Amino acid sequence: MSNKLYEILSQVFNVDISLINDQSSPETIESWDSFHGLALIDAIEMEFNIQFSISEITDIKNVDDIKKHLKNHSVEIDNGKKF
Amino acid sequence: MSSEKKLSFFINESKSLTESNFEKNTRIAVIGSFTLNGLAETLQVKCAELKIFSHIFTGGYNQYNEEILNPKSNLYSFKPEICFLLLDTRTILGDLFFNPYDISNNDRKNFIETKFNELANLISYFSEQSQCKIIISNFVAPTYSPYGIVESKTEYGLQKMITDLNSKLLDKFKNNPLVFVFNFNGFVTNHGQNNIFDYRQYYLGDVRVSLEKIPHLANELMSYVKPILGKNRKCIVLDLDNTLWGGIIGEDGFNGIKLGHNDPIGKSYIEFQKHLLSLHKRGIILTVNSKNNFDDAMKVIREHPNMVLREENFACLKINWNDKVSNLREIAQEVNIGLDSMVFFDDDQMNRDFVISAIPEVLTVEMPKDPSQYVPTLLKLNDFNITKITEEDKSRGKMYVEQRKRTELQKSTNDFNEYLKKLDIKLSIKNANEFSIPRISQLTLKTNQFNLTTRRYQEEDILKFSSSDDKIVECVKVSDKFGDNGITGTYIIIKKNNEEWIIDTFLLSCRIIGRGIEDIMMNQIIEKAKTAGIKRIKGQFIPTEKNKPAENFYKDLGFKQEDGFWVFNTNDTIKKPEHIEMVKNE
Repeated sequence: MSNKLYEILSQVFNVDISLINDQSSPETIESWDSFHGLALIDAIEMEFNIQFSISEITDIKNVDDIKKHLKNHSVEIDNGKKF
Repeated sequence: MSSEKKLSFFINESKSLTESNFEKNTRIAVIGSFTLNGLAETLQVKCAELKIFSHIFTGGYNQYNEEILNPKSNLYSFKPEICFLLLDTRTILGDLFFNPYDISNNDRKNFIETKFNELANLISYFSEQSQCKIIISNFVAPTYSPYGIVESKTEYGLQKMITDLNSKLLDKFKNNPLVFVFNFNGFVTNHGQNNIFDYRQYYLGDVRVSLEKIPHLANELMSYVKPILGKNRKCIVLDLDNTLWGGIIGEDGFNGIKLGHNDPIGKSYIEFQKHLLSLHKRGIILTVNSKNNFDDAMKVIREHPNMVLREENFACLKINWNDKVSNLREIAQEVNIGLDSMVFFDDDQMNRDFVISAIPEVLTVEMPKDPSQYVPTLLKLNDFNITKITEEDKSRGKMYVEQRKRTELQKSTNDFNEYLKKLDIKLSIKNANEFSIPRISQLTLKTNQFNLTTRRYQEEDILKFSSSDDKIVECVKVSDKFGDNGITGTYIIIKKNNEEWIIDTFLLSCRIIGRGIEDIMMNQIIEKAKTAGIKRIKGQFIPTEKNKPAENFYKDLGFKQEDGFWVFNTNDTIKKPEHIEMVKNE
C-alpha cells in the first residue's frame, strides 16, 4: 500500500519514487506547492475512493500525515519497505 | 462522460514538450478571475496531439483587468493568437451573489448594465490592441436563491441578472468575428454543478473548476482551437451494418435489420442518422465505407421507410468487398479532401484497428459497443467546429452529391467529349462587383492547382483592382445539368498600354478543371482584347509545388514563349470548345 501512495506522489509531483519517504513535505519536494497539494489530495481521493474533509486537508503537512488520515478512512498503508 | 486523463498527467506531459519537434506553432493565453493552474498546460498537450506546439501564458491570479488595460503587460508582450478569458458569477456579482435582494430591482438592473458595459469595453479594448481571437466564458446562472421557489416570481432577480448578462454578451459580440462567447453555463450543465464546483478546493485555493474537470474544460475549449488553427474536420465516413442500422443486411435481410421506431435498438440508429443529417445540412460531407453487396445495401438506403440518410446525402458510396483502408483512400481522392479531414465510424474493432495503424491521420472514433451510446459519442466530438457559417457551407453537402453524379455520368460515358456534351455546361463571365469580390478574393487565397501565378489577394486588393481604370477583374460562374458550381474561376488583367494586356491572375477551382472552361475564359479575354484594339496578350506561368495541372495551359492554346512570358497575338485564332454555352451578361 505504501507503494501505491508513493506512486501517486511521484506522478503528481513529477519526482522519482526513490526520493519519496514518510517525511516528504512541501519543504523537501520542490513542486509540492499549494496547487499541486490540491492535485495530490484529488488523486489520493480518486485512488482510494474516499473524501477528505477540509480540516483533514489543512492538517496534512507531510506524507506521514496523509497516512494518518487515510487510516481514519479505513485505508491501511503498511509501514514496510518502499519497494 | 468522456474519459480524460488526470490533470497531473497533462501538467507533467507539458514539461516534456519542445518546440523544435513541431512544424506548426501557436500562442494561447488563459486569463481570468480565479485559479486557472493547469488549464494552459492541458491545452498545450492537446495541441501537441494535433502536431501543433502551443506557447502558453497563464495570467496572474485575478489579474485580467490589469493585464488587459496595461499595454505593457505580460499578456501583450506574450502576443497571444488565442486568448481565453474565464470569469465567473461570484466575481461579477460580488456580495450580490449572497444578498441580491439588498438592493432594489432597478439597482440590480443598473448593476448588471454597468458590469456588462465594463466587460464589453474591456474586451473591445483588448480586441483592438491585439490581433487575438478572444473567447470569453459566459456566466453560470445560480440555481440556488435565498428566495427558493419564489425566485421565479421576483422582478429582475438573481437568476435573471445572470441570464440577462449572458444575453447581452451574446448580442454584443454576435457579429464580431474575433470574439466568441463560450457557453460555460452549458458546460457546467453537462457535467453537473456538484462535479465542477468543489467547495474544498474553492476554500483552499480559490479553484472554481475542480481539478478533475479541468481536462474536460480544456477539451471543450479545444472546440475553438481546432477550427482557428485549421485542424477541424469536414468529412464523416460511415460503415453501414451495425453503424447506421442494427444487424447485417447481407444476413438479416431487408426486413430483418433493426431500423424501426418501435424498437429501442432501431431508435438508437434512427436518431444517430438524424444527427448525422443535421451536420450534413450545415456542410459536413457524408460518405459510406462498407463491406457489402452494393445492391443489398443500396436497397436499404434507397427504399427502407425508416432510413433517414438517403442516397442524395452521400458524396461517395464505397460499398464493395475491398478493404476499408483502400476505400478510405479512394474516398479521399474522389471527394478531393485530405485524410486528416476525415472522421471514421465503424462498429468493428478490427476494421478500426486496421485503419488506425494504416492511416492514423483519419480520426477513427472509438465507438461504444452499445448503439444507444452512438448519439452521445457523436455529439461529444469537437472536430467539426467552424468559426463561421457561410452559404457555401450550407450547400456544400449538395454540391458534393452533384459532383458524385457527374463522376457517375463520366464513368458511364465512353467518350470524354460525349460526356462533356451531356453535362450541358453553362458559363457566365461578369465584371467583379460587391457580391463577387469576397468570393474572388477567397479564390485567389485558396486556389493552388489551376493557378497560373498564385498571387494572393485580400478583398481590399480586389476592390482596388476592380475600380481602377487600368485593370479588368472578371469572374466565372459555372453551372451544368447537375447543379450550380457558383463562382469558380477568375482572372485579373492589367491594361499595360494601347498594344498589350498582361494576365496578372488566371485561376480555376479544382472542382471544374478539365472541362474546357479555362479555354472559354481565355477566349473571352482575347475577344475583349480584340474589341479594344489590343494586339498582344501576355502572361506568365509561375511554377509552384501544386500548380502542375496548369503548366501547359499557355502552350496548348498556342501562346509563344518570349522573354519569360507566354505571348498571344490577338489576330491568331485560338481553339474554342464547342460544348459550353455562354450565358450573356444581364
